[in-house]
Amino acid sequence: MIPISWYLILAAVCFFIGVLGFVIRRNAIVVFMCLEIMLNAVNLTFVAFSQSVGNLQGQLAVFFVMVVAAAEASIGLAIIIALFRSMKSVETSSAAELRH
Amino acid sequence: MILFFALIAFIMVASAVAVVLFRNPLQSALALILHMICVAAVYAQLDAHFLAAVQIVVYAGAIMVLVLFLVMLLNIKVEKLRPIGRVYMALGVLAGAGFLVILVPVLQKVFTMVPDPIAPLEGTAKAVGRILYTEYLFPFEIASVLIFVAIVGAVMVAKRNYTVVGTSSGEVPESAKEASR
Repeated sequence: MIPISWYLILAAVCFFIGVLGFVIRRNAIVVFMCLEIMLNAVNLTFVAFSQSVGNLQGQLAVFFVMVVAAAEASIGLAIIIALFRSMKSVETSSAAELRH
Repeated sequence: MILFFALIAFIMVASAVAVVLFRNPLQSALALILHMICVAAVYAQLDAHFLAAVQIVVYAGAIMVLVLFLVMLLNIKVEKLRPIGRVYMALGVLAGAGFLVILVPVLQKVFTMVPDPIAPLEGTAKAVGRILYTEYLFPFEIASVLIFVAIVGAVMVAKRNYTVVGTSSGEVPESAKEASR
């Protein structure tokens, strides 16, 4: 039997790797992928607590997080496409028109 | 069991680090697919069988395919390494040390606070579906509306905007009609 805290620590480690990538990388698609890593880590925490508590509500929360993540993925990638069309690159530093 | 978990956890963390460190976004996307399959394996080990299947189908099968389409269509070049300044390096080390100072007592508490499960959970599609369609019916319907709104929004954002120029009498020339199709 694996203690639940091991799953939580694994999820926390993956979450912080996602945060690190979100901050470091400049390519907008890779930034989006690091966001997906963070969402997966949170889902893993939900599922671990769902087994710890003993009912399925954590798993249903994960279900809805997946739905929202899919919707956000489609719109976010559409925004990246529109940005690429005007900026001709997907660097996060190239979309700087509002900068002072 | 512990060996399986240790192996899957190692591959999960390694592929997450690979997503962050690979310079080519195509390699990052493939590493992320591996990461999501590992997450699905951990879900299966936590008795969340329905969620493991949904994870593979939705995340690794749909979202990552969308990301790969984007990487392919936008023809992304390899990202260059940017040298980190000395100030940022010092700030990073300071932040890491502060994070460890906060994390270690929390970890010591986590090992004692979270209760271990008593009975195995039934995370099959039947059990999840029973709760989803009775208790969580309203969020389920709202989720379907949300997906619909996301579809419409994505199409509106990503489509090309053509303007059709007409003559003063309101007629549209044939060449302009062809261009806007």
